[in-house]
Amino acid sequence: MSNNIAVKVDDLTVAYNYKPVLWDIDLEIPEGVLMAIVGPNGAGKSTLIKSILGILKPIAGSVEIFGMSYAKQRHLVAYVPQKGSVDWDFPTTALDVVMMGTYGSLGWIKRPGQKEKKEALEALEKVGMLAFKNRQISQLSGGQQQRIFLARALVQNASIYFMDEPFQGVDATTEIAIINILKELRKAGKTVIVVHHDLQTVPEYFDWVTFLNVKKIATGPVKDIFNDDNLTKTYGINYKVSIQE
Amino acid sequence: MMSNAQFEIQLIASLVAIACAIPGTFLVLRKMAMISDAISHSILPGIVIGFFITQDLNSPLLILLAALTGILTVVLVEYIQKTGLVKEDTAIGLVFPILFSIGVILIAKNANDVHLDVDAVLLGELAFAPFDRLIISGVDVGPKSLWVIGSILIVTIGLLIAFFKELKISTFDAGLAASLGFSPAIIHYGLMTISSITTVGAFDAVGAILVVALMIAPAATAYLLTNDLKRMLLYAIGFGVFSAISGYWLAHGLDASIAGSITTMLGLVFLLVYLFAPNKGVIAVLYREKQQRTEVSLLTFLLHLKNHSEESERHVNHLNEHINWQKVRSKTVLDLALKNNMIQFDKNIVSLTEKGQLFTTQAIDYIITNEDGKIEHMKDDFFLFRG
Repeated sequence: MSNNIAVKVDDLTVAYNYKPVLWDIDLEIPEGVLMAIVGPNGAGKSTLIKSILGILKPIAGSVEIFGMSYAKQRHLVAYVPQKGSVDWDFPTTALDVVMMGTYGSLGWIKRPGQKEKKEALEALEKVGMLAFKNRQISQLSGGQQQRIFLARALVQNASIYFMDEPFQGVDATTEIAIINILKELRKAGKTVIVVHHDLQTVPEYFDWVTFLNVKKIATGPVKDIFNDDNLTKTYGINYKVSIQE
Repeated sequence: MMSNAQFEIQLIASLVAIACAIPGTFLVLRKMAMISDAISHSILPGIVIGFFITQDLNSPLLILLAALTGILTVVLVEYIQKTGLVKEDTAIGLVFPILFSIGVILIAKNANDVHLDVDAVLLGELAFAPFDRLIISGVDVGPKSLWVIGSILIVTIGLLIAFFKELKISTFDAGLAASLGFSPAIIHYGLMTISSITTVGAFDAVGAILVVALMIAPAATAYLLTNDLKRMLLYAIGFGVFSAISGYWLAHGLDASIAGSITTMLGLVFLLVYLFAPNKGVIAVLYREKQQRTEVSLLTFLLHLKNHSEESERHVNHLNEHINWQKVRSKTVLDLALKNNMIQFDKNIVSLTEKGQLFTTQAIDYIITNEDGKIEHMKDDFFLFRG
């Protein structure tokens, strides 16, 4: 972990129909961490990611990626949306979906060619899905679909990865495969930010954590701040987790 | 022999079909079929106002004005929907009848004596299209509507080729498109603009209702036949052109409305594909379900034989009495088991063959280790005949 700040969020407030779902968030994410964002349903976890990525417009506040606006640093960022956010009956193949990860570096109008195809095939291999490259995406299992999404992010060769619930609806094997890839990314110096639901696995998977419930409750190293106090503040009930050593 | 006018009508209908199928494919994939219905009706006031200004139904200014009304429809629908007070379909149902009725009143008040009435707008009249010629310095260069729809089609194809990648990503995953810098809003309104312009350009020839049919039906038909976006576009174009030409000859034979006949053909083509499409068709789905039902019954039966050595449990009649199956089903299952050499008979007592034993043992292994999926592959190895 270096001393650089990968993502800096200042006074961010986001509202749907004038009803704030995120209040005045200040957040600094150091480069090279594997961070979980945890919080109850409706806490604004996905909203936070989408606001950082410019998909949602905040009503106040600012976001910096390595010291500059997101629009300038887009090429450094990869995003894995929630699996349920797309229509898997869309007429396309696994390879084609992964190729979409290359569209950002291509820019408008330019089409993907052999180079992009080669990168996409390599990414498919990394997530163990090369054999399924020509499969129509609706014929993949939930875990396979999630791997395709991960491959699409890998192909972007970014510095920061945002993932919205990558473990939702996947089998145990896929979960392990995904977390291993995320740990490899961290080892390569990348910053990985994951919206996460399973509190039990936080200490095992992540080294950094942000507690969120409309406001930021706490952020920092898992070993320092992942405790019953913060969990109770975030989830509002007397929360107890046994942290496995 | 086909007359020149007949050829021109079919050419116009075909070009309209292609120009509609392209945006239509994306509307269907974006689950926005109803928006095309809304646009096709709400452009009426735009057309009327444009007609007052230009006095020419084929004027580019009229087409632009009317297309703006189409965009206005989309903006209003989204604005009402964003308040969160009503859902999208309700918002559509609120906006387009109001705009349409404004157009109806404008026509009734001001345009009674001109070639512009509600019937013409709703149904169009393709048969008259060849009579309205474009004359450039005294030379007849063809029907005006052919030039209008031809120009729109060229622009549409140009945009499709240039922005195919952007259309694909923003349709499949708007969130990713936004994060990569491809503004989904720009692509959305671009598509809406093209849909509106195409609708206006086509309505004079084929009418507002047929425009909707030509946008949605070919794309919906193509969707049932392919898993590839480019092919879906090509198939949709193919179905559109086929329906346009065959619909024309149907109208010719029946002496009926061309627009109505083309729409009928679109419906028929969809129905045929809906029933007979190889994978997604109704019959293919029913057949697969029946096959699966029989094969699950067969497996149940084989497991039963393996679990019971006592003869009373293995008697043929027992199938009806104890496993609680109808006669027909028992017979189907027994026949399938026999054909595949899984069972043998000894005076109405059924027992597993060696192959049946092997199959059942393996199947049980897969069932208890929760790998039911592998039974499907096993069937390929063991079954000579499927259920």
